[in-house]
Amino acid sequence: MAAETSTRLVRIRRGLALPLLLLVAWEASGRLDLMDPRFLPAIEDVVRTAKREIIDNGLTGQLGASLLRNIAGFLIGCALGVSFGTLVAVTRLGDRLIMPTFNGLKQISLLAWIPLISVWFGFAEQAKVVFVALAAFIPIALNTYDGIKDAPAELVEVGRALRFRPWQRITKIYLPSALPTIATGIHLGLIYSWLATIGAEYFLAVGPGIGGLVIAGRERFDMALVMVGVIILGLVGFALNRLAGAAEARLLRWRA
Amino acid sequence: MKRAFLSRVAAGLALMLTASATVRAEEPLVIHVGYAAIGVDNRPYAEGTSAATARAGEFLEKEFAKDPNIKIEWTFFKGAGPAVNEGFANDQLDFAYQGDLPSLIGRANGLKTKYLLASGARKPLYLAVAKDSGIKSIADLKGRKIALQRGTNGHLAAVKVLEAHGLKERDAQVVNLDSAGTVAALTSKDIDAAFGDTQLINLAAKGAADVIYTTKGDDPRFGRNAGVIGRQAFIDAHPEITQRVVDAFVKAAQWSSDEPNRPALLELWHKSGTPVPILEEYFKGDTLAYRNSPLIDDLLVSQYKEQAAKSKEFGLIRRDVDLESWFEPRYLNSAIERFSLQNFWQAYGADGKPVAS
Amino acid sequence: MATYLELSGHENITNWRRFLRGRFFSLSALLLPMFLIALWWLASARGWLPEQILPEPTYVLQTGRDMIASGELLYHAAVSLRRVIFGFAIGAVLGLALGIAMGLSARFEDYVKPTFLAFAQIPTLGWIPLLMLLVGIEETLKIIIIAKGALVPITLNTFSGIRSVPGKYVEVGKALRFSRWQTLRLIVLPGAIPSIFTGIRYGLTHAWTSLVGVELLASSEGLGYLLVWGRQMFWLDTVIIAMIVIGLIGFAMDKGLNGSEVFIQRWKKEGL
Repeated sequence: MAAETSTRLVRIRRGLALPLLLLVAWEASGRLDLMDPRFLPAIEDVVRTAKREIIDNGLTGQLGASLLRNIAGFLIGCALGVSFGTLVAVTRLGDRLIMPTFNGLKQISLLAWIPLISVWFGFAEQAKVVFVALAAFIPIALNTYDGIKDAPAELVEVGRALRFRPWQRITKIYLPSALPTIATGIHLGLIYSWLATIGAEYFLAVGPGIGGLVIAGRERFDMALVMVGVIILGLVGFALNRLAGAAEARLLRWRA
Repeated sequence: MKRAFLSRVAAGLALMLTASATVRAEEPLVIHVGYAAIGVDNRPYAEGTSAATARAGEFLEKEFAKDPNIKIEWTFFKGAGPAVNEGFANDQLDFAYQGDLPSLIGRANGLKTKYLLASGARKPLYLAVAKDSGIKSIADLKGRKIALQRGTNGHLAAVKVLEAHGLKERDAQVVNLDSAGTVAALTSKDIDAAFGDTQLINLAAKGAADVIYTTKGDDPRFGRNAGVIGRQAFIDAHPEITQRVVDAFVKAAQWSSDEPNRPALLELWHKSGTPVPILEEYFKGDTLAYRNSPLIDDLLVSQYKEQAAKSKEFGLIRRDVDLESWFEPRYLNSAIERFSLQNFWQAYGADGKPVAS
Repeated sequence: MATYLELSGHENITNWRRFLRGRFFSLSALLLPMFLIALWWLASARGWLPEQILPEPTYVLQTGRDMIASGELLYHAAVSLRRVIFGFAIGAVLGLALGIAMGLSARFEDYVKPTFLAFAQIPTLGWIPLLMLLVGIEETLKIIIIAKGALVPITLNTFSGIRSVPGKYVEVGKALRFSRWQTLRLIVLPGAIPSIFTGIRYGLTHAWTSLVGVELLASSEGLGYLLVWGRQMFWLDTVIIAMIVIGLIGFAMDKGLNGSEVFIQRWKKEGL
């Protein structure tokens, strides 16, 4: 046990070495003016900018707007994705007719949909939410489909033997057995929906959001602001990743 | 337990229904007004046009101050005219200030709009080059990297200017950037030149770029036009409200055309973030009445027809645009009648000469 | 694989049935798209759909033909492909190296992985404005972004692939007195290949998406540039054509990867 704990401590120490080194180098560069402040502002500038944004410019509001957009789009995409994936996997017609088209359409890079969504949905929140929903929909639908298709034949036989009705088959056999794959899909959906939220803020009309903050920082040549924005993007990305992992674990536990 | 819960749900539903019923009885209306530009740092203000005055001076809000059910909502677009078209296409905008090329593009694509009054007509275009780019004249632009915001009236004017110097759009590497992106790219010398307006004058004043050409003083056919466009469905449904909206814009145009108001006007436009000296330079040598006239005179109509033909020639729009039924001077004329402004602005004929009143 | 002649009559018929059914399946796959296109054509012809929402399909076809004939489409597609290939190659090489290093050396993993993961949390789109300030909007920006897009999935999947090789196999190598290089080549890498390919697949998709993102923001050529141009000018046909080409290239890359994975797997099996 002691050996294990000490190995853990050693690993943690090692893991912190590089970040600490980078931070020290950063601070030194700021103090000693090693780098052009336009390319690498001093740490205190970044902190000051962060403080200014939070207190004066409603940074928390911007973050809230981004998160709301993200969650709304994700939930819609998730609900539609699971339903669509289930429907298509369970009906033979859906499988043969719809899947090939879906597989074709999913090849189109997510961001390439932006001009079309902009023309079809305009400039308000709905366009952004639709885009985020699309981003979540694709991996979730795909994984739901794969998961259900991979349902073990014996389980399906059991369902048939017990004369389950379609709805019972879905809820008692297909969905539970597909849960691990669906969980992976949801994990991917969360990641892509965050990417889409930022993309929406970059490319669809101006509105509150962290993405808009980063773009504004770039236009003003305010590297400190850009860094604040990017760090927040990373933190939210990290939190969402953790959340997705926890949700995945929870789903798997529930199924077992 | 269940009964208490159900009764609570029922009460909530009843409350919601009555609330929505009372709301429906008053029919609140939100008038969505768009502007095909945006201020510095995305400020929701603009400059240089009577429509910008209407916004900064709250002319629309004052017109409808006594109507509690009517709200005005302004939206400013980084994506300029093309973004306004997307708004019209989705019925999300009722009125908008928009330049000539994007209005024509919208019309060519079947957008059902009406041109209500002129605003921001006869705007000059500026060409700025990055420091040490070595570009001295328009002919030097060949093969260089130029920033343009495609689909805006600046785009059309730029193409006309290039053509007058024997260049085509394809002779240069065009990067599509909006106003703020252009400023950033010029400053960091990522591009060699850019077409634009006040933001470029501002950049030159700061010493980050050089303005080497402006259409001001050059052939008047290089001028850009713009106006206040209305969505036909809204106009048909609310003609009285449309009239009042036009009234407010005309009042703003009147105030913006009065020479004694010039300092106050520039101060008002300063809300967009552009410094007053830059605005002074932008309006130097022009009378306010010339730039801020709302009249739909023969000059304007013939200009638009020419823009349409030129746009088709340059391949910017791909079919003929029907302009006959697009201009709707009815509301403008009514406002001018009622405010006795018949001789306030000078109307110009298609030949560019003043029309005798 | 038995040859055609060696199969019994019954097996032949079953194969034929399977062959025909396969053909039928591929035909039925086209049913939905054809139906949708017919619906689209009808809607435009009858005026149900305002043309600013969706132009006529014949118009889109015409524009497509014009763009191919003028060489414009090929030019922009080539520019985008060149960027992706270049950027992906850099990202893949770095990713493989990093993943292998982290996978083989626990020490290296301890030092590098936490920092790597921290940087990986920042979405690729978030890096673009930062890099714009550092390197401008030229080709360098695009290559770096694409490389970053490919780097993260490739690194992580290579790492997990190497770690997933069962210890027993490495033991076998030790027993056979393999050198480190032999262990790597004959045991670890082949075992990690499925994961590596997953990483490469995700990496390529992500690289392609990052390319579109960068071209949408600041470019003077490429498929993303076509999208922007089409959007600004309300040329939805150009937008749709650019989307189709982007989808086709994505599809081709995916198929190519699948093919090479199958090829390598077969080679791996025969090697054993």
